[in-house]
Amino acid sequence: MSKETVRCTKCILSSAFPRIQFDEKGVCNFCRNEIYFTTENQSIANAREQITNLLNEHQGKGQYDAVMCYSGGKDSTYTLMLATRQYNLKVLALTVDNGFLSPVAFENINQTVDALGVDLITIRPSSKFFSPLIKASALHDIYNPKTLTRISSVCNSCISIINIAALKLALEKKIPFILAGFTLGQIPANSIFYKNNYTFFQESREPILNKLRNLVGNEVDDYFCISDDLIESTESYPYNINLLCLDDPSEDEILAEIKKLGWISPKDVDGCSSNCRLNAFNNFVHTQKMGFNPYELELSHLIRRDKLSREDALRKIAAQAEIMSLKPILEQLGISQQEIEQL
Amino acid sequence: MSENIQNKLLGFITRSFMVEREEIDLDKSMIDEGIIDSFGLIEIATFLENEFHIKITEEKMIRANFGSVHKIVSFVKREQTQ
Repeated sequence: MSKETVRCTKCILSSAFPRIQFDEKGVCNFCRNEIYFTTENQSIANAREQITNLLNEHQGKGQYDAVMCYSGGKDSTYTLMLATRQYNLKVLALTVDNGFLSPVAFENINQTVDALGVDLITIRPSSKFFSPLIKASALHDIYNPKTLTRISSVCNSCISIINIAALKLALEKKIPFILAGFTLGQIPANSIFYKNNYTFFQESREPILNKLRNLVGNEVDDYFCISDDLIESTESYPYNINLLCLDDPSEDEILAEIKKLGWISPKDVDGCSSNCRLNAFNNFVHTQKMGFNPYELELSHLIRRDKLSREDALRKIAAQAEIMSLKPILEQLGISQQEIEQL
Repeated sequence: MSENIQNKLLGFITRSFMVEREEIDLDKSMIDEGIIDSFGLIEIATFLENEFHIKITEEKMIRANFGSVHKIVSFVKREQTQ
């Protein structure tokens, strides 16, 4: 993206963002959508009430109340703290090690689960599967364009593996809730909580799975699907809940709290991630293909909610990696520089 | 009744997913058309529950009920009359 990128004068959405329109003052239609804010506040209030009811109904009935998708990043660390200390949930943390987590992220994970007294399971997909998956996600058009307005293709593949692993664990252990550290902006406000109806969602994902099977192999099913036996024995699906959306803290507030747990900021990740070394590559590829940074939507949302200044948001996405600095990651994934430049 | 449900649903879809009314084929899957993704289905289901005061249980979350705008409208109508 060039230095002359035209951006909304209130948020940081750029002219390449799908369906964007600017008024005479350079303000985008997303910022002008006043109904959106009213609806969002109503959705949060509604979610808070219903989540309270759900927790009252299901909490404390089994070994664990919730599986937490725990990456060791700042948002999921804060969410894990909220879940255990504010909501008193008995949590089983689940970390999916994609092979690119910062070593500091692992220190943060261990430090945090120890500080909070939480059990932890770590899963590491084979690199023989994961590298081709990442390569396919980066170089091919896999996902719905709507999905790519809020997340890069590679991140989406990784998060899909995490979501399925968490659902599998919840179904096997009959755990009623799945927690994740998504913020408003990363997910829509009326998706703060929802019943994880696997069959319904999987039907809509089938075209995506077929593309991945063709490019990566049928091993995709091991990581993106749940066995028929487990689904048939399921009486009720768990609820996915994003507690962070109810609390809605600023980044400074999050950092201040999690530092008390011993969490430290990794130095080997880009400005938009606090745990994954692959993120700079993901953002580079996404910007190359789509013309905008995958964090524009989320950061713009934080600006509109007065949780982040426009200057700080611009600073976060300004440090776009140069392709040469990505060389070690490209080699690890078996992707040539030429393949990336041709996107 | 159906027209009222359809107008409210289309108002929600155009506003939430930043699409023009003309871009929505009422008989086609909005996922297949790239208008929404699976998160969009959650958003629509939540909207229907809140707006039309219906309860969408797990067994009702199927493509036959959510596969197009027309299917969603028929589904809401059925739920309201039960």
